[in-house]
Amino acid sequence: MSAGEADGDADADAGGGVAPDARTAGPRRSRAGTLKYVAGAVLWGWVLLRWGNDWLGGVFVPRGQAFVPPATVAGLGDAIPVLAGVANGLAFAVHYLPNLMNAMWLTVVLTVVSITLGFPLAVALAAARSYGHYTGWAALGFVELFRGTPLLAQLFVLYYGLPWLPAFFRNLPFVGEGIVPAQAVWVAVVGFTLNSAAYQGEYIRGAIDSVDPGQLEAGRAVGLSKLGSVRYVVLPQALRYAIPGWTNELVYLIKYSSLAAFITVPELLYRAQAFASETYRYTELFVLAGVLYLGLVVTASSLMGYVEGRVAIPGLGNAEGR
Amino acid sequence: MSDDPLVRVDDLHKRYGDEEVLKGISFEMDRQDVQVLVGPSGSGKSTLLRCVNRLTEFQGGEITLDGTPVTEMDVDDLRRQVGMVFQDFNLFAHLTAKENIMLGPRRVLGKTEEEAAERALDELDRVGLAAQADSYPAELSGGQKQRVGIARALAMDPKLMLFDEPTSALDPELIGEVVEVMEDLAEGGMTMLVVTHEMGFARAAATDIMFLDQGRIVEHGPPERLFENPEHERTAQFLERLTRLHGETR
Repeated sequence: MSAGEADGDADADAGGGVAPDARTAGPRRSRAGTLKYVAGAVLWGWVLLRWGNDWLGGVFVPRGQAFVPPATVAGLGDAIPVLAGVANGLAFAVHYLPNLMNAMWLTVVLTVVSITLGFPLAVALAAARSYGHYTGWAALGFVELFRGTPLLAQLFVLYYGLPWLPAFFRNLPFVGEGIVPAQAVWVAVVGFTLNSAAYQGEYIRGAIDSVDPGQLEAGRAVGLSKLGSVRYVVLPQALRYAIPGWTNELVYLIKYSSLAAFITVPELLYRAQAFASETYRYTELFVLAGVLYLGLVVTASSLMGYVEGRVAIPGLGNAEGR
Repeated sequence: MSDDPLVRVDDLHKRYGDEEVLKGISFEMDRQDVQVLVGPSGSGKSTLLRCVNRLTEFQGGEITLDGTPVTEMDVDDLRRQVGMVFQDFNLFAHLTAKENIMLGPRRVLGKTEEEAAERALDELDRVGLAAQADSYPAELSGGQKQRVGIARALAMDPKLMLFDEPTSALDPELIGEVVEVMEDLAEGGMTMLVVTHEMGFARAAATDIMFLDQGRIVEHGPPERLFENPEHERTAQFLERLTRLHGETR
């Protein structure tokens, strides 16, 4: 398998792949792996507390306010002068993180909804590209259009060029209320879904093409239709092959979602920049945003590594099986 | 109906582009016949086999199964009735031995999970692999894979079984177990069309042997005649060479 597996621990066991119970055996964690899980648990524990607090109208502390007052953190620096610089930096982070958290919610929504909606579309595109005649041409057109033009241009066309689209979302119930984001986010979701489907589809098509043609033929030979053979024989194998590439697309999308800022979506990077221009502390705020993006990306790739290990089948997709 | 031959191939022509690979093949198979196809590589044996279940389309002539031209049958329905065993097994790589056998009955015949599982275990038992039911293809030896391949085809209750060089991809010491299963099948009355170089199997189980060369039937007859008293020198030479190479593998 190729790159895209920075987190080797979850699939280390699946890579062995000979024991029949490779799927059920829990991943053996290295020390670094344990550290990652602890860090992940701390990060997400805190993030969920933060979101819960703000969505429920301030259960623990008022909305947007830090759990620990920044002044207290800064006070540490007064107590231990050597740590004053660190304490000041932390206090700054503690002050801005709650607001960045609400922005990160939008980033998560943009990414998760778009990749999820894009996936079935991508499977259909890939199948059409690999097996279809006219549908293959149509899929090729779709893929080239969305891969071949800038994502930002696509978002502009959707948001400013098709006024009925944001209007449609604005008129839907609940949009813009509570934790349901406003219409611009949903327009961005449409753009990311279509764009991501094109990329995901290409990863999946590559995976479909790497499945031995004898597999489809054997499916046909037992009497399955072509569609049935693809559905029950080719795709279950291809989607497993596609996981590393697909993870790459997921990771890209997390970061590309910041383009939504250009159509007024106040997501993570947008909010960081807004605070930065208020305070002129650009470096600190972008480092802070960077750390949060890193947390999202490592979480996503770890989850996919775990999934890859769970669905691994001896001899399929492992280095020794191919 | 049952007095008619099960398979009738009449003046079959098949072209790949400009190249004619089958130049007028005609023969018949009754129920329970075991027809062995031999011939040098490129003679059209595999192509002929694939025309029968229409994995390959042909341009001239006719093939009928149970009196119905295969070209007039629904292709999926045709393949339901004709089992196929491949040279390189083509087991579904993501499914266990048992699941490989269950897929057809489940998704094509519409059987329930339980029915299909029960049948799969029966078929695995028949080919001596009950213990490997939950193994994935990558965990099986070549001979075991091919026996699962045979069991997978049998679970569809085919009228006819096609074997496309079922032992050619196997290590010599694994050929015996597969040939044994095929001989049992033949003895049990399965109608079989077999492309193979296993002359041991041909002698023991074949009703007829057909020698194909360059898309034509050179000679066709019962094994005794082709082995002992062939009409053509070419047949004699070819069979003798095959027997030397593939005759005594067990």
